[in-house]
Amino acid sequence: MLCQNCGKNDAVTHIKQIINGEMDEVHLCRDCARHLGYDDIFSGFDFDFGGFFGSLLGDMISPRLIGETERCDKCGCSFNDILRSGKAGCSECYTKFYDKLIPSIKRIHGQASHTGKVGSGAVRREKTESAGEKIEQLRAEMNQAVSVQDFEKAALLRDEIKALEGGESK
Amino acid sequence: MSKWYAEKGEQNDVIISTRIRLARNIDGFVYPHLLDKEGKNRINEKVKKAVFEKLGDGYSFCEMSSFTPLQAVSLAERHLISADFASRRDESGLIISDDESVSIMICEEDHVKLQVMKSGFALGEAFARADEIDDSLDSSLSFSFDERIGYLTSSPANLGTAMRASVFLHLPALTLCGQISAIASTVSKLGLSISGAYGSRKKPSGDIYQISNKITLGITEETAISNLESIVRQIANRERGAAEREIKDPSAEDKIYRAYGLLKNARLLTTEEFMSLITYVRFGAYAGLLDIPVEKIDALIIEVQPATVSVSNEDINTVTERDAKRAEIVRKALD
Ligand SMILES: [Zn+2]
Ligand SMILES: [Zn+2]
Repeated sequence: MLCQNCGKNDAVTHIKQIINGEMDEVHLCRDCARHLGYDDIFSGFDFDFGGFFGSLLGDMISPRLIGETERCDKCGCSFNDILRSGKAGCSECYTKFYDKLIPSIKRIHGQASHTGKVGSGAVRREKTESAGEKIEQLRAEMNQAVSVQDFEKAALLRDEIKALEGGESK
Repeated sequence: MSKWYAEKGEQNDVIISTRIRLARNIDGFVYPHLLDKEGKNRINEKVKKAVFEKLGDGYSFCEMSSFTPLQAVSLAERHLISADFASRRDESGLIISDDESVSIMICEEDHVKLQVMKSGFALGEAFARADEIDDSLDSSLSFSFDERIGYLTSSPANLGTAMRASVFLHLPALTLCGQISAIASTVSKLGLSISGAYGSRKKPSGDIYQISNKITLGITEETAISNLESIVRQIANRERGAAEREIKDPSAEDKIYRAYGLLKNARLLTTEEFMSLITYVRFGAYAGLLDIPVEKIDALIIEVQPATVSVSNEDINTVTERDAKRAEIVRKALD
């Protein structure tokens, strides 16, 4: 689809708005969207930023320079797809392309580390992680005990590991 | 049940309403733009179950496909959904509380977009409510989260808190004395965004503006809200100051009474004409010239938007009939 403003470039920003009860859709190329101030004032009824930042993201790195080989295992998106649409395909994309996305994320927000509310997803992960780490550590201690033939200590450690592993699988 | 916008809110003279939106996603599902019909139905079921179990009664669920285009646009006019969501004719789900203060768009840009609206200036209150609902839903939906970049959202622009806080202000005096564009450029330098809440991008109508936070990563919800709060407070005070000066000007007074006279007597009103007049009437009301409660005017503005007029009056078939109906509603309200 071509940009409605210049009619030359591909439209990458699609903005829906409601004007006097009618749904109105604007399709613009990256330059025209910015030129017309669609990132800022007077953007019309109930405008959200989502669509616009797509063009912001894509602006930073020319998609042609990046190979399409790597894809997210979950949704099949390549980094190119994310740049083109301005949207990640799924939450796994952020793990898969974390290092590549970070510079763009920094450009958008000025920063790249979260300081706000912590979701329960994080708490769960932390628990598993720390339990996993603890088990590793205990296992090392148990092996150490076995190697010095302190079987009493080794047995205690084994019970502790079992208890932790049980807790994790619950 | 009375709707949220019919209530009188804090600093209601200049500040019409406050809105908090939170974007959330559910682990294990691709984001809505890649999700098929079956996936959307599964998310609907999950969110529905969480809402009905955790939040209890007072909420209802609808699929966007069950609305006519007019009904969907009316939902957007009433601020319940985004314009983008209003264009959906599919299985995307919508959950609304009875007083319409809480709505959840399912599979909009993200799996869950929770919105809380309050009358007047109520950022803290609206956020507390949104936060509480978020906690309840999170306990059964376990939203996607990353320690480093916060809540994961389909657009990287919403990462972090994934919170968009907005305040809707009526700024007729600042508009009259030509200060809006200066304010707009200051506001955007401060990392906030300002836009016209009604009308087109080039010609906002009704002098009603929406100011929102832009940055969501590297800033806490509390800081983002208190930044927005302090800017809004300053703008509202400037509006009041300008109003005090403007109202002494006979030409402003004349505009207010003329607008009032027209709206009280017109037999046909287009949306544009209504919006261009009601701003003066609201101005006169909040500045103490006209004895009309502002919350009544705010409810009227929502009530006479085009799709909303047509939806609530089934006998309307033509534009003229709609304009006549609008004029009738307005006359009744101002009487
Ligand atoms: Zn263009
Ligand atoms: Zn993915």
